[in-house]
Amino acid sequence: MPLLEMNDIVKKFGDFYALNKISLQVDVGECLGLCGENGSGKSTLMKVLSAVWPYGTWEGNIIFNGEELKATAIHETEAKGIVIIHQELMLVPGLSVAENIFMGREPKTKFGLIDYDKMFSESQILLERLGITSINVTSPIMNYGGGHQQLIEIAKALSKNAKLIIFDEPSSSLTETETKTLLHIIQDLKDKGIACVYISHKLNEVKAICDSVSIIRDGEYVGSRKIEEITTDDIVTMMVGREMNNLFPREDHEIGEVILEARHVTCYDATNPKMQKVKDINFKVRKGEILGISGLVGAGRTETLSAIFGFYQGNHNQEVYLDGKKLTIKQPQDSIKHSIAMVPEDRKKKGIVAIESVGRNITMTTLAKHANKFGVINLATEINTIDKRMQELGIKATSSDVPIGTLSGGNQQKAVIAKMLEVNPKILILDEPTRGVDVGAKYEIYKLIFKIVKQGTSVIIASSELSEVLGISDRVLVFAEGELKARFINDGTLNQEKIMAAAIS
Amino acid sequence: MSIKALFNKYKMLSLLIATLIIWIFFHLLTEGHYLQPRNIANLFRQMAITGVLASGMMFVIINGEIDLSVGSLLGLLGGVGAILNVWLQLSLAPTIAIVIVLGILIGAFNGYWIAYRRIPSFIVTLSGYLAFRGIVLGLTKGQTIAPIDDSFSYLGNGYIPSIGGYIIATILIIAYIFSIYAERSNRIKYKLPVAPFRNDALKAIGTTIIVFGLIAIFNLQSGMPFPVLILLILLVGLTFIANKTILGRRIYSIGGNKEATKMSGINVDRFKLYVFMIMGAMAAIAGLLTTARLGSGDPSAGNMGELDAIASCFIGGASMRGGVGTISGALMGALIMASLDNGMSMMGIDTFWQMIVKGSVLLIAVWIDVLSSNKKEA
Repeated sequence: MPLLEMNDIVKKFGDFYALNKISLQVDVGECLGLCGENGSGKSTLMKVLSAVWPYGTWEGNIIFNGEELKATAIHETEAKGIVIIHQELMLVPGLSVAENIFMGREPKTKFGLIDYDKMFSESQILLERLGITSINVTSPIMNYGGGHQQLIEIAKALSKNAKLIIFDEPSSSLTETETKTLLHIIQDLKDKGIACVYISHKLNEVKAICDSVSIIRDGEYVGSRKIEEITTDDIVTMMVGREMNNLFPREDHEIGEVILEARHVTCYDATNPKMQKVKDINFKVRKGEILGISGLVGAGRTETLSAIFGFYQGNHNQEVYLDGKKLTIKQPQDSIKHSIAMVPEDRKKKGIVAIESVGRNITMTTLAKHANKFGVINLATEINTIDKRMQELGIKATSSDVPIGTLSGGNQQKAVIAKMLEVNPKILILDEPTRGVDVGAKYEIYKLIFKIVKQGTSVIIASSELSEVLGISDRVLVFAEGELKARFINDGTLNQEKIMAAAIS
Repeated sequence: MSIKALFNKYKMLSLLIATLIIWIFFHLLTEGHYLQPRNIANLFRQMAITGVLASGMMFVIINGEIDLSVGSLLGLLGGVGAILNVWLQLSLAPTIAIVIVLGILIGAFNGYWIAYRRIPSFIVTLSGYLAFRGIVLGLTKGQTIAPIDDSFSYLGNGYIPSIGGYIIATILIIAYIFSIYAERSNRIKYKLPVAPFRNDALKAIGTTIIVFGLIAIFNLQSGMPFPVLILLILLVGLTFIANKTILGRRIYSIGGNKEATKMSGINVDRFKLYVFMIMGAMAAIAGLLTTARLGSGDPSAGNMGELDAIASCFIGGASMRGGVGTISGALMGALIMASLDNGMSMMGIDTFWQMIVKGSVLLIAVWIDVLSSNKKEA
């Protein structure tokens, strides 16, 4: 009898099926690899399992350890022995290793105070079980890097008597040696009879550690295989193997000379300055070109583009040349002054001012155009501009003075693009422009992109969706682990498998 | 429409009603002394100093920051005004000019540390709260500086003769009605939704009655108190900045979402600096008014003034998260605070009770605001 059975899980958001009849099985002591593209539903599935989405908000059933699981809160699933280790670690930096391991379950003395001696010694024992002796359980978490922190999370999971540990992209922030240690420990866990679900884009790791692999795509179950029966190439094919349909209104456009050149873009992690997020990336963009940037989560796309735009928070170096002239870019206003505009990935945090009106969001950057020298705004010209842009981009709102936060994702995104078009950009950087946008609005955004390049603007578009990158770009750059792994010309022979192969290598 | 929605939509109206309830309450408790013309003039004069501070504070809070130093800064600048006027025998005009410039510079100093050195405004202005009070105590050696000359004193204690009051009121009302009309026709021209004509008409008529009514009441005594004129000028000027200028737009959008504003290519740091410079200027004006009213430079003037100003802003509809608030709201908040102060003093209620009541009113006002805006947190 398997340890875990998930049968016909269906999870809907409105009319959208995030998961459509997905089934999984994990045996005692087995490590299951779970693979799929970004947004295919892996994380949603694990949220269903760990009751982040409580019982009743989804359909299907979960059998764990022989009984049906009807948990409505995370602590219930944890009590049963299911523990998730998240991609972003949930540790408190200022507290000691032991305090983090026993957070919320601190051993108490008979006076109700925390029994530190017991906590420290038990933490020590847990870490020793993982074969780790280099960690001092009394010193704060922040003294340890991402790799050690991952191990501490595992120790925490063990202290909860976990029977099944779910690793969500565990190695995305780890160095190679740290990853090796992690894989070694997972092997140990398996030997002790603890089952794992290993979610990762790094197929060589999946191949190395997992006993079987299940693949999902667009919320649908594609298939499961024993690991020895499948190659990484097969996995890639199963992950992306969808029909290309006519989602992309491709239009011919003229491509000119090189206009932008980025040289030696290097970024360091903002909180861990030793870790390189982007390693010496160089590329060129031509006038009127659509340059696609593909890569998996954590490949360094956003970091690279933010550095060029002047919005990267950590340490970074870059040289940006526009029309052969070197630019000094320290802040977004510098790049905007040079007609380089950017639509950020995180729309809510960086794209819109949610409580302000649609109109004010659109004219925000270029307000000076509508004001006299004393800074007094001419409402008439401003509203004219807003009306024109809203019509041009098909932004649907009851009026231009409703708060932009009340609009749908697609309309919000169009407004953010409108704001940047007001700059008359020579280069328009779009980072995941269609994330959280419905299919209809996606199509309109693609049409808009072609309209923009026809006017001579160059567009750089970073996207996790392979079909999107293939569907609209003239050239494709593939990033992986902070490096530029491949450059392709999208001449019809390029396919998703080639991109995925480069992104995973 | 539910009561909640009504409350949210007509915030100013609900503040007005709250003020009226407070007034009637005190009027009854003081056996008809509270709403005497003399006391109303007094009430508005008291409100002016908190109102000036609250006006500047409103921009700071909309911007997503806080300024704890303004009470001490008021004391310092008021003290400097007295020193210039009494010890150095400077006449009124240069005294005002120097104090206001000094206020702007000190505001810029605060703003520099906050915007460019990334020190939280709470910390920077808490330092100022201590340091500025220390400076004024040192400068004056803890003594009251008196007497200031008569023209200076007029700033705080003078009255606008009755005909002057009516002229000012007429100009204000004409400008107000014109701005409503211009806004309306502009919106109609660009097919934006407009409020029903009846609402705008009621708003104009209501404001006219209130303004002329107040002037008439002031004129029953000696005329409009001079500080009230300053308050009116600030109300009009700062509201104009808030609604019609680039600076105003930036103040709101930085408070609404600093990251997105920065990402839009806006020099967020510089606008933060400007906001604290305006706050400094307001502290200077409030300091001058305080010294003028007392007739002397008192080194303890403005003690806890920052808290009254902050409370006024939140009573007047500001949000801790920034991005929301109006100057008129801040002034209504200040009026409510002053009404409570004045009424309780008149009844001879102990200071400790006054503090308890003011604290409770702040809590309840913000609670009602949270309830009515359907938000989970303030």
